[in-house]
Amino acid sequence: MEIVAYLDPGSGSMIIQILVGGLAAVGVTMKLYWRRITGVFGRGKKVEEKS
Amino acid sequence: MSPEIAGGERARVEPGSFRDADSTVLYTRDGVFRALSAQGLEDFEALAASRLFEDFTGDGRLVGTERVEAAHGDVPALRNEDVAALLRHERIPFVSYPYEWPFGMLRDAALLQLDLLLAGLDEDLILKDSSPYNVQFRGAQATFVDVGSFERLPEGEPWIGYRQFCMLFLYPLMLQAYKGLAPHAWLRGAIDGITPGQMSAVTSARDVLRRGVLTHVRLHARLERHHGERPREVKRELRQAGFNKELIRANVSKLRKLVGRLAWSPPSGVWTDYGDRAHYTDRDTEEKDNLVREVAGSRKWDLVWDLGANDGRHSRLAADAGAGYIVAMDGDQGAIEHLYRSLRDEGDRRILPLTVNLTDPSPAVGWRGVERKAALDRGRPDLVLCLALVHHVSIAGNVPIREVVEWLRSLGAALVIEFPTREDPKVEQLLAAKRPGTHLDYDREFFERCLGEAFEVERSERLSSGTRVLYSARPRGASSAAGDGHTALGR
Repeated sequence: MEIVAYLDPGSGSMIIQILVGGLAAVGVTMKLYWRRITGVFGRGKKVEEKS
Repeated sequence: MSPEIAGGERARVEPGSFRDADSTVLYTRDGVFRALSAQGLEDFEALAASRLFEDFTGDGRLVGTERVEAAHGDVPALRNEDVAALLRHERIPFVSYPYEWPFGMLRDAALLQLDLLLAGLDEDLILKDSSPYNVQFRGAQATFVDVGSFERLPEGEPWIGYRQFCMLFLYPLMLQAYKGLAPHAWLRGAIDGITPGQMSAVTSARDVLRRGVLTHVRLHARLERHHGERPREVKRELRQAGFNKELIRANVSKLRKLVGRLAWSPPSGVWTDYGDRAHYTDRDTEEKDNLVREVAGSRKWDLVWDLGANDGRHSRLAADAGAGYIVAMDGDQGAIEHLYRSLRDEGDRRILPLTVNLTDPSPAVGWRGVERKAALDRGRPDLVLCLALVHHVSIAGNVPIREVVEWLRSLGAALVIEFPTREDPKVEQLLAAKRPGTHLDYDREFFERCLGEAFEVERSERLSSGTRVLYSARPRGASSAAGDGHTALGR
């Protein structure tokens, strides 16, 4: 089950967190874009989420 | 006293505490309580076991909290199955909101929020929101009151409270520091704060060069425009890309540095002319101080309101004379900022400095107009100091003198009031701006008649300079003003 917050985090506000994260974010950013490039995302693939 | 909620007593749910269903604030005669859901309880147990809890509660940066026994049906306003545990909180003597804080108070509240986040991350805890309404002040000390905000950090989850931090802390601070624009009216008018889009609209091309504007404002607003509607996908993508708490830590540390560098100083002049004090002789000041000291020390006053507090001179006298708690209100943010800074440096916990304009005090706002109470409904003073104020309210603010006295009477408190006569240089100056023949009610004799009708005047004293009169008075026909103070609350 996904943990649902009562607050809307805002999609843009989540993405920006990897853009302002500096060095700590380099790996995540690259991975995110690599996956986008290889087209793994956005196809509604079912993902196991933390219960 | 037993910490349990007294059997059969109806707990009153704080009307501002409904947004987070896992944690609800309640009041009873015995104090302030918080009802936790099963999920809320699990999160609280993680918090209670942390070093953060001990450290921050120890020095007062986190509100005092203890778990108390909850019996079935203790909280009639909630369903039994929604109450897994009850906490009892230490009481905050007077609740205040960000639109009443000068810059320095909002900044210190922001820093406290970030410090709690950083300390939490070390122990896999996070704050699920970032609202200045979760911070209260005890005198000049910021205290985080919403322990229900802490939750165990879900793996791979971004910082949910970041957007709210921008809207209610960062942007208002930037507005004041970068644009010289006081954010109070905006915050008062928008309970959720300033959106990235709005903030972006008020920043100029030149502002983009200022620290934090390009990323936290411009880029943030742009991303929000382009990715508005897909929070679930974004969250999943981030998790799969390996989003982790080190990233949150990096963001929070950078924000802490940014907020720490935001600065605002009141225009010079505010602090140097001490409002009206320039018009006093030393002798006047001394006589006035003596009367305040005497009345303040004449009995134990639990809550004192110092209206038009300016540099806080009389608030301090009242505190020294033994008053329990003093709310120092002034419409001038500059004066209150200076007062806050000096009180904070002294580690004061008895004088709460607030920016409140008495002719336009903060109204009730939020859901049904009850989520955040009006400033003057948040407690009952038992002593009111009203020095060097009434001419401003009556002449500059156009409030008839009888109306001013009747309002003071409605507070039900003892009163120390100063009336500068029409011959007083400051009054002459205020009247000079008005059409001749107006404000005829601003007259010593008429004032005394109004005062005498509403109050029993115990003492009146003309100051040496001859143009100012001090009165100490008790409300007529008052039942004793019981301290129905309002208290700590969460969202």
